[in-house]
This record gives sequence, C-alpha cells and structure tokens, in this order.
Amino acid sequence: MSENIQALTDELARVIAEKLTQEDLVGVVVPRRNGSGAAAPHLFAPGEEVTDLSLSPWYHPLNAVVRLQKAYPEARLGVVVRGCDQRGLVELAKRQQVNLERLVLIGLACTGEEAQECGCDKPAPAQVDVGVAPPPARNFIVEEFLKKPLAERREFWRQQFARCIKCYGCRDICPQCFCEVCALGESYWVETGELPPPFPIFHLIRAMHTVGKCVGCGACEKACPAGIPLTILYDLMRAELQAELGYEVGRSVDEPPPLGTEEYQGKMSY
Amino acid sequence: MATDSFEPRIVGFLCNWCSYAGADNAGLGRLKYPENIRIVRVRCSGRVAPDLVLRTFQEGADGVMVLGCHFGDCHYTSGNYRTAKRIPMLRKLLEIFGIEPERLRLEWVSASEGQRFAEVVTEFTETIRRLGPLDLHPKRSTTPASGATNE
Repeated sequence: MSENIQALTDELARVIAEKLTQEDLVGVVVPRRNGSGAAAPHLFAPGEEVTDLSLSPWYHPLNAVVRLQKAYPEARLGVVVRGCDQRGLVELAKRQQVNLERLVLIGLACTGEEAQECGCDKPAPAQVDVGVAPPPARNFIVEEFLKKPLAERREFWRQQFARCIKCYGCRDICPQCFCEVCALGESYWVETGELPPPFPIFHLIRAMHTVGKCVGCGACEKACPAGIPLTILYDLMRAELQAELGYEVGRSVDEPPPLGTEEYQGKMSY
Repeated sequence: MATDSFEPRIVGFLCNWCSYAGADNAGLGRLKYPENIRIVRVRCSGRVAPDLVLRTFQEGADGVMVLGCHFGDCHYTSGNYRTAKRIPMLRKLLEIFGIEPERLRLEWVSASEGQRFAEVVTEFTETIRRLGPLDLHPKRSTTPASGATNE
C-alpha cells in the first residue's frame, strides 16, 4: 500500500515539475508534509524542488486557492485536485468565489483504498493526470444509518451533537462556507452562550445551508475535534438533492445553484 | 402526557396575497377549523427561510405549515417556485435527522379557497395529533405555558 502511495507521490512530483516549466504559472498549490509529519498547503514556485508531498494525510487545497486568488486575482495558479476538490471548485466558481480560467488543475485520482475509506462514489476528478480512477465505493456507514427508524436517528444525533464544543471548525474548514455573515453566529437563529449549541438547530442550519454546495470532501468531519460523523448528514442531503431535483453537485459550472433559482421542474413531492 | 389531552402547537406561515386572504375567507364564511394553528403573515411563502422553520421547531412547535399561492399566482411572480424546492429539501433533512417529515407541510391556498384552507388545517392538525408532541427537548416541559395559548 505504502509503495503504491510512494509511486503516486513520485509521479505527482514529476507532473508538478513538468507543469511548472511548461505553463506560465506563479506556482502550484499542493499539500506538503512539514517537519512534524502534518500536512499543509504549499505553493511550489517554478524552480523550487518539489519534495515532501503529502498525499496521505491529504489537505484540501481549496481554501488556500481561494485566498490566493482573492489576494492576487491576476495570478495563474496550478492546483492539485482530487475528485471532491475539483467538484468543489465548480461550485465555488458558479458562486463567483474562484476564477477557473486562471487555474490549471492537476487531477489526482484517489486509490481504491482511499475511496473505500471515504465511502466515495466519485473518487476521481473529471480529468485525471496522476493515478488511475478506482471504481466507486459504497458508503457502509450511511447504509447502516439508513436502517435506523426515525426515533433512533434522532437519538443518534442527540448523542453525537451533545459532544459539540461549538468550535466552528466544520464551518471554518469548509471551502463552501464563504458567507461573510454566518447564520450560526446570529443570535436570532441560534441562541448564543450555550454549550453544546442549541440542539438541533445549530447543525441543521448548517446542513441546510450547504445543500447544493457540499461535495462531500469530508473536511468538516476530519476537522471536528469531537468526531461527529457530519458526512452522514451531508451525504444523505446530497443524495436527496440529486433524487428530487436532479442536481448533481459539482457537475457543471453552467448549472445554476439549485435552491436559489426559480427553475422548477415539478418533480418535487410534498 | 396522554395523547388525547395533547393539543398540538402549530405555526402557519401564510403568504399575504393568497393564503392569508384564504384564511380570511374561511373566517368570513364562518368555517370552523382547529384553533391550534397560530398564523404568521409573511409577504411571500418564498420569504420563509428553512432557518425560520427550524427555529420554529426549536422553540417548541409540533408542526409547521407553509401556505403560499398556487403556481403562476405569486404576487412576486416566482417566490413560490423557490419555496417549492426549499421546503421539500427541508422535509428531507428533518427525515434524515429523525423528525417525521409530516410535521412540515407545504400547501398552496388561494384567496378564494376558504374551504380548502379549513380542510387543510383540520387535516394537518389531525396528523400532528396522531404523531404526538415533538419532543426535541425532553428535559424541558412539553406542556405549553399558560401564556402561550391562543389569544
């Protein structure tokens, strides 16, 4: 397994170095391992030796890309994207958060093991430059959750959300949470000064606000210090959105955000 | 709490142009409907953000109704089309979370449909009565405070 990752890392480093020489780029954003073994996004400039890449643990590079683009709108940036990152960029682009024309994407396919770890049904970007797209994986955690009757589900979430320390980590790490004023900080939606935060409105508001944007990268769940399985909630909402409105998150920049528009196909059941 | 002594607390968000007038029509027609519904008049059903519904449940409602104009009749041309996507998605979220989606109802009631308004509210109240109280906060009392009844 580690040999596999090592081979992928070497190939990725080669492709990055190639892109840096071929294209007129300011740099390429990719997670890099620091001295303590943790990963953080790094901007490799042309001429810099591409070393210490961190494929595992992966660090989703979207926040770094958005910030870099906001600070330097003219810069042509390269970025290494996995499937979820690429779909996230599509959703950000249609909401004017990134300019795809100034980005050069280097598509990295997840390994079959990584896909199974995430239970990911789309473990590769639209264009794969490094690696081989694995088959979609089944999400056993979600399948198991769906077997619970309603009362058990609510009890499940009650226990999970009781551990929330309201660090806002899920919101802050999320590339799709770019609102300047967040409803979770507004006392008329969520009572302030309570710990754990008001059950269940705190988490349900976030789940509702990410509908149509969440691509299921799982950054929120990894960032959660309490280990709340947030992706169950968001994955199921994404599946419902596709089933009801036919909106596949991250499919195309030309599809307008599903809930913010007037188009109505009359498929919804209420 | 015994189910037969349970009086559902229902909040209805009614659009100003159709459904609120429809409720008015029911009143003018002396039509009887359960007094469990507390009506909040909004300018448009499209104004009813999912957050607002969630907060209503959070504050102790057992059921929430969102009533708006029929398609094509929206005073703002398209507000109800947005509602027609948001509220069903919210119902899905409630279901995933473990709240019966039947506790949230979206219906179209026009200004002349007093009869329909009374029927919809009666039927919804019966649904909630059957489902029982929404016990989101078991530690808190689920009986309505004396001041919280309909004035």
